[in-house]
Amino acid sequence: MACVLLSLPAFSLAAETAKLVFSKAVYVDDKGKAIKYPEGVACDNKNLLVIADTLNNRLLKYSFKDGQLQGGSEIKIPEISFPMKVQVNSKGEIFVLNDKPIQILQLSPDGEFRGYVAPQNLPDPPAFIPRSFRVGGDDSMYILDIFSSRVIVLSPDGKFQRSIAFPADYGFFSDLAIDASGNIFLLDTLNAQLFIAARDAEKFSPFSKPEKTYLEFPTNLTIDSRGLIYVIDRNGCGIGVFGKDGSFLNRQLTFGWSEGLFRYPSQICINEKGEAFIADTDNNRVQIFNILR
Amino acid sequence: MKRSFKIMVSLGAALLLFIVSSAFSLDNFKLKPGAEGKICLTCHVQFEEKLKDPFVHTPVKRGDCTGCHSPHASSHGKLLSEGLNKICTKCHAVIPKEARSVHADVMSGNCTKCHDAHSSKNKANLLKAGNELCFGCHKTMGEALAKVKFRHNPVEKGCVNCHNPHASASRDHLLIDSPPSLCLKCHRTDSASFSKLHMNYPVAKGNCTSCHDVHGSDKGALLYTKVHVPVANRLCNQCHEDPGSATPFKTKKKGFELCRGCHSDMVNSTLKRNVIHWPLLGKEGCLTCHAPHGSREGKLMRGSLTSVCYKCHADTLERLTKSPTKHKPIQEGNCMACHEPHSSNLPYLARAQTIELCGSCHNWKAHTSHPIGEKILDKRNSNLNVDCLSCHRSHGTEFKKMLPFTTPTDLCVSCHREFRR
Repeated sequence: MACVLLSLPAFSLAAETAKLVFSKAVYVDDKGKAIKYPEGVACDNKNLLVIADTLNNRLLKYSFKDGQLQGGSEIKIPEISFPMKVQVNSKGEIFVLNDKPIQILQLSPDGEFRGYVAPQNLPDPPAFIPRSFRVGGDDSMYILDIFSSRVIVLSPDGKFQRSIAFPADYGFFSDLAIDASGNIFLLDTLNAQLFIAARDAEKFSPFSKPEKTYLEFPTNLTIDSRGLIYVIDRNGCGIGVFGKDGSFLNRQLTFGWSEGLFRYPSQICINEKGEAFIADTDNNRVQIFNILR
Repeated sequence: MKRSFKIMVSLGAALLLFIVSSAFSLDNFKLKPGAEGKICLTCHVQFEEKLKDPFVHTPVKRGDCTGCHSPHASSHGKLLSEGLNKICTKCHAVIPKEARSVHADVMSGNCTKCHDAHSSKNKANLLKAGNELCFGCHKTMGEALAKVKFRHNPVEKGCVNCHNPHASASRDHLLIDSPPSLCLKCHRTDSASFSKLHMNYPVAKGNCTSCHDVHGSDKGALLYTKVHVPVANRLCNQCHEDPGSATPFKTKKKGFELCRGCHSDMVNSTLKRNVIHWPLLGKEGCLTCHAPHGSREGKLMRGSLTSVCYKCHADTLERLTKSPTKHKPIQEGNCMACHEPHSSNLPYLARAQTIELCGSCHNWKAHTSHPIGEKILDKRNSNLNVDCLSCHRSHGTEFKKMLPFTTPTDLCVSCHREFRR
């Protein structure tokens, strides 16, 4: 009952609304092999969809155009092990965050291994452990370094640009996102709170209030072309939406097995067309939604 | 001068309180002159005895029963004119604004858990004197202190030596001051022997409670019963910079890398597995869950497993609270019955695959005849096999038997649609 109640819109503002409507689910690769425990999903504005098929230790590459899904070819190389998060840049290159060992891999658009992301000249401390990462609109890379409590910004060619320390008071940061203006957002899982550092800011400050009432254990976020922020509530099995001003707009979807419902979703990606791809991890599938505006 | 000023202010406040409360209560019922109090005692004769106690609540002494009670009718128990939490705070403002910590019973208005509202043989109308009162609720603390070899002297003399029983404006745990300044009120730190005992580290600026169990301990110098080996051997510089350095408390390495120096096997095997408990790799590393110097708990845990795990996984605790059926390991805070604390090769840091894991406690064959296992596909999703989690949520749901549906029928027909009505 609580799940159902939580799925009802909490606060709705007429000016900023976004409703996720189920479109399609992806269960298998191009050979009919089932997806198993997908933790990551990436998309771009050129119809590309990449899935981190975590327990099969591989990536799957699809094309999603006009509501039709095509492809599903496998990228399976020894370097991919327990892939958690995926990103693609403007050239179609694929970046993967492995869980074992925890490293970011760079692959060609065809899935050829190009190396590990290893930024040179990192300021002290030189070590970093990425909990998550993002590729920005200009192909810069943003790494959530939980070991040294900072966000590391790399140029498109992988050179260190700058780092921004985590704020003084927070619970645990699980993810980050970049909006079209280059603002960096952090997601504090334990307090269900967003933090922001404007494009050239040197520190983070709170962007939203803690929203523990509406979000149980949020672990992933993304931002759509309108600037609305979508947060995956992993344990709560739902999606929370924040407005451009940091206000909590609504909570959608809930726990379940049927299409349109989730069991422990992990990552969300939204393209410019307003198509949302969500790794529905415990249901062994990726679900595609249209965002009604 | 200062003292007499305080007395004057206190007397003034008491007088004002008396006038206000008298005006508020006595006039309400238009009692005949001299009737207040006495009229109540005509029935409540047992109060004659109570009034002989050495400490009598001022309104009672005054016979102002209607200061707290409504003699005709009330929505509150004992004909109180308002709820306890409101009645007491009308005169006794014991919680500072934006207090850092508040005693739970004070917060919930359970003042009578410690105080007798009418009279008592103890100061401040307390039900019992000294620590006996505190240990009535804080039983674990009382029992532990009764057994330990060494007790902190101020604790024996009274908890209130260090704690404010009602609230603390700016300190955790109702403390009247924070360590080390609280400790330094009694302990001198400028002696040569003190420095030598602390390996010349400037611990007067540190947190004494990181090594010392401030209430009592079986170990000398009130060290925690479980002490990290380098601490026991006074090898502080094994982890910290030298005492003479500019940053003596700074650790030589960060996060789990510091612990890896000695616990390399454990850390290396942890990092080899597929799924790692993320906080282990964070800034605090192992210290997110373990205390670096000493602890009352085994494995130097920062607290009971319940408190350590639920500090971050509060949503699980909330789920448990709402669930009419409690999963025993979760209720007992034994998260490690199902989860590995550091890392695992399975999602959710599980100790084993679902059916095997659940089967270690539950005999599913006796539980249900429903087929489960790798060969049985879930009718709701052909990418899933039927296992225990096809019908239950392990941390609980708002429904009985940890089912994710209102009734078992709803659960069954979610797969067996042909039987839907």
